[in-house]
Amino acid sequence: MGTIKKFKNYFSNIPMLGWLLGVFTAVLIEYYWGYDYISYYLGLPKIPALFGALFMLKDPYMIPGVMGYNLIVYIIPILLIAKITTFFTNPTAFILEKMPLWLSVIIHLICFYGILHLWAGINDYRALVVKLTMISIILTISINVINGYQGEFSCSHPGFMAIGAYISSVLTLLFFVDDKIFGAALLPSYLGPWIFPLTLIAGGFAASFGSLIVAIPSFRTRGDYLAIISLAFMFIIKSAIENIQFIGGARGMGGQPDYATLPVIFIWTMLCIWIIHNFVTSIMGKALNAVRDDEAASESMTVKTRKTKMTAFMFGAFWAGIAGGLFAHVLSYINPGTFSLTRLAEILAMVYFGGLNSIVGSIVGAVSISVLGEALRPLELYKWIIIPLILIFVMIFRPYGLISFKEINAKRLLRSKNKKEEGV
Amino acid sequence: MESLTELFTYILQNLINALQRGSFYAVISIGYSMVYGVLMLFNFAHGDIFMVGTYIGFAIATLFIALFAGFLPGPLIFVATVIVTMFLASWIGVFVEVAGYRPLRSAPRASAAITGLMIGIIFETGILIIVGAQRLKFPALMETVSYNVGGVYFTNVKIMIIVISLLLMLALHGFIQKSKWGMAMRAMSYDFLAVPLMGVSINIIAPLTFAVGAGLASVAGILYGQAYPILDPYMGVLLGWKAFVAAILGGRGSIKGAALAGYLLGFIEIFVATIFPSTLRDLIAYSIIILILTYKPRGFFGMEHSTKLRL
Amino acid sequence: MKKITCLLIVSFAFAMVFSTSAFSARKTIIKIGINAPLTGDIPKVGEGSKFAAMMWLEDIEKAGGLEIGGKKYDVELVIEDNESKAESAVKANTKMITQDDVIAIVGPQSSSQAVPAGEVANKYKTVMISPWSTNPNTTLDRPYVFRGCFLDPFQGPVVSNFISDEFGLTKAAVLYDVAADYQKGLAEEFKKAWEKRHGAGSIVAYESFTTKDTDFSSQLTKIIKSGAEVLFAPQYYNEVPLVVQQAKELGWKGPIVGSDSWGSTETVQLCGEACYGLYFSTHYAAAGATGATKIFIDRYTDTYGYVPDDVAALTWDALRLAEQAIKDAGKITGRIEKDRQAVRDALAKIKNFAGITGNMTFTEEGDPIKCAVIVKINDKGEYEFFKSICP
Repeated sequence: MGTIKKFKNYFSNIPMLGWLLGVFTAVLIEYYWGYDYISYYLGLPKIPALFGALFMLKDPYMIPGVMGYNLIVYIIPILLIAKITTFFTNPTAFILEKMPLWLSVIIHLICFYGILHLWAGINDYRALVVKLTMISIILTISINVINGYQGEFSCSHPGFMAIGAYISSVLTLLFFVDDKIFGAALLPSYLGPWIFPLTLIAGGFAASFGSLIVAIPSFRTRGDYLAIISLAFMFIIKSAIENIQFIGGARGMGGQPDYATLPVIFIWTMLCIWIIHNFVTSIMGKALNAVRDDEAASESMTVKTRKTKMTAFMFGAFWAGIAGGLFAHVLSYINPGTFSLTRLAEILAMVYFGGLNSIVGSIVGAVSISVLGEALRPLELYKWIIIPLILIFVMIFRPYGLISFKEINAKRLLRSKNKKEEGV
Repeated sequence: MESLTELFTYILQNLINALQRGSFYAVISIGYSMVYGVLMLFNFAHGDIFMVGTYIGFAIATLFIALFAGFLPGPLIFVATVIVTMFLASWIGVFVEVAGYRPLRSAPRASAAITGLMIGIIFETGILIIVGAQRLKFPALMETVSYNVGGVYFTNVKIMIIVISLLLMLALHGFIQKSKWGMAMRAMSYDFLAVPLMGVSINIIAPLTFAVGAGLASVAGILYGQAYPILDPYMGVLLGWKAFVAAILGGRGSIKGAALAGYLLGFIEIFVATIFPSTLRDLIAYSIIILILTYKPRGFFGMEHSTKLRL
Repeated sequence: MKKITCLLIVSFAFAMVFSTSAFSARKTIIKIGINAPLTGDIPKVGEGSKFAAMMWLEDIEKAGGLEIGGKKYDVELVIEDNESKAESAVKANTKMITQDDVIAIVGPQSSSQAVPAGEVANKYKTVMISPWSTNPNTTLDRPYVFRGCFLDPFQGPVVSNFISDEFGLTKAAVLYDVAADYQKGLAEEFKKAWEKRHGAGSIVAYESFTTKDTDFSSQLTKIIKSGAEVLFAPQYYNEVPLVVQQAKELGWKGPIVGSDSWGSTETVQLCGEACYGLYFSTHYAAAGATGATKIFIDRYTDTYGYVPDDVAALTWDALRLAEQAIKDAGKITGRIEKDRQAVRDALAKIKNFAGITGNMTFTEEGDPIKCAVIVKINDKGEYEFFKSICP
């Protein structure tokens, strides 16, 4: 125990900037020497995409090789560089601290994105996993608004996602692609990536409009009826899409242009985090929590409960629609079956695993479930025993999810860790 | 006149179809409704408990047929299968309660629901690993005899399903209304917190509720095996969600309501597919459910209760 | 601090010593991906593909590897589960192409997954052969995607003509799954062909259900009331017994005709005597096969204990096609993009490939021109060859 504490203490004076720098070095090492030298000498067939989980589970003899790789490429350089560079990262962090918070956050995010881009660029599969994970983050945060902050049990997220996915796909296919369904493109295709956000937003608005079908009848009373109305809504959307022939019906719709690139998804994810964070910390968000905890009391405190609940519900649905649109453009294929019970189980697992009422929790939940799902792939069937077991244990030991009712403080996270300057 | 008779037989035929389908929904959703009523929990594992019950029923039926087919009459084998399966399957219910829900007694109920969902996935995968990829065929426990009464076709199996379901529900009603345990359950659904103070331990009532639900589901599974004899590990998923809809539609804690909603669901599904183009079945059926809930927001027999949720 | 450094160094040394293949040169291994539904709705289909692939690999290993241009290469199969879901099939394909560096992919089997997965294979310029997907969209405008079977626009008319010629009936009903790409596509093709021959309105009932439904009574009651004489039921093997049984219980007396999705051995196992005497169209008939087909069937039956279904036979053919194409490519450079291109070009050029499910030559679209077989389920529950219909 003492060693760990000492270890933690030893690295405690590294600011976020230092860690970023360390990771950056690690990625650079992987980028330049990963394939030709390090993984080659360790007997790995190629660069391990997800820290070698896929190799290790397929062939236990690879475990030492993978461990060595992770050690050489990630752990040692990150720790070393982060520690060594404290002499200038701390002062730099101190300078950034003096700037407005938003600027500092943006600078950090840009650095983070650069690293992520480089890391994901090494391998297309890795890029796909990163993209889908970020979409899961949007989904999880948005359902957290309804199931966490609002305290309802909504099952209609796959339905909202489907609406967003279909609307934005129809728009991009209609305007920018020559395809079999809608004929020639109406607009020149170079405009596509610029107008793509608008199609996403259109999808989001359509989803929030659709959410009214759930919201209006279910908010007449408080309780579990929302659960089945939303479930019924999900089935209705699926069935409706299956019956609309010109968008492919059950056959699905494919050929969406590749507009959802890594930077695009990254920007949307950050926007989503920022906006939802602002929403839940606003007066509206507080009102929402009040409604959850005691509806009658908050009503008497002049909270317009109905309006609050409606807004939050539509807001959550909007972001689910955005996530759906991005999802459609990542996979270049959607069908109604994609947005069904399995997806619902996945989304619910992510939000309750990560923790209610917390954006950080949602991010943790989404990332862990998505990455686990991919990393345990070689176990085939047993994957579906292990992931549920992990979830059950998390639920038993942390009934509210891993990180719930907690928010990180960006300022605290990014500040300089130099003890002298802090005067501690 | 001719066409009128024809229409009548047509409606009657669909009525029988709907009764059969509705019986399954009703029996399964009762188990759901009991847990929901007593513990205020969504038991998302219920569909998979039904599935495991069906597999147990399959094993027992196969075993009994192999052992006794020569010298015991068919109905006796059937009854024996039902009793043994019910007994075994109720332990599955107890297991789910003890392993999945008990540790989460004080946790938010949504978390418990997620645990249930996960236990369901483990059941599905477990069965898939044990049984393998092939589908199983449930052995016929009685010879199917078809009847044709004036153009309306039905089989003895259908009649049996409808009758046994009704009997089960009546028996359960008696149990809930007359027995001491049933009274404890009803009390628990009125007030979750006060009843333990009266000396009724929740750690007995809760497993009992699960056991009864699982036992019912397993009988439904055997009957299901007679009507739709193909078993697969994912057979409970959709049924489970539909039972969930029926249980809540019936009103919290109302066995009567759940049964009624189960039958209603069967009727809606069959008649919507009959009247409208069958591609639109789900669309219209679930729209009807939303409409019903809009005007009856507490379900059929939902009692006024504190709507304050534990998150 | 010292302790930590020590720990790091020791663990690192450990890693180096114990990594079995440390410091060994990278061998060029030929990897072939299998994208199969091992879990999900149709696991038997996945199992058949997996077993056929393992048998194929056994052959290659016995021969000491795959000989290309005079040099032997080791072959490895990368088997990925697509959970019978479109999205997973796309992910599995992306993973196999970008992470495992497969040279070609065999699968996915059903059109619902093959159509979207083909998009990925085509984007990354990797050969994909779908053994069992009959939907035209799988290969349409995709130079890198091939298939090992006939298409629905062919199968639909085949079944329709078979019914008309054999039974002389004029009023048909169709039952299909609205959520399954395959069933829906085939139902449409059948309807088109039937109405062309018997005039508009000759399909008297066109009824649908949704995946995982088990009760078809209202649809079947409607079909029986419509006065249809024959029922076309292109269901998967797990649904066929339910459809047949319920139809009979509701008083259906006419014939029920199926399609290639009936081909699994489980159809008869699950359905029992109710299915005896019914017909369906498929890719090959196991009972009474001769030559290479029989050798394959016997070997498969010996190894795995049941007669291989059409999926297994088609997967076997697809793998042999891939093998042939890799051999024809002449040499393996180790540069995966180049090799994939060479394999694709070689595959497109293959003429009259003698497969166990028939001879194959690819059209421009990458579809083989193959004959369909009408199979009768005989009184012993075997799939008996009834007649063969060629384009």
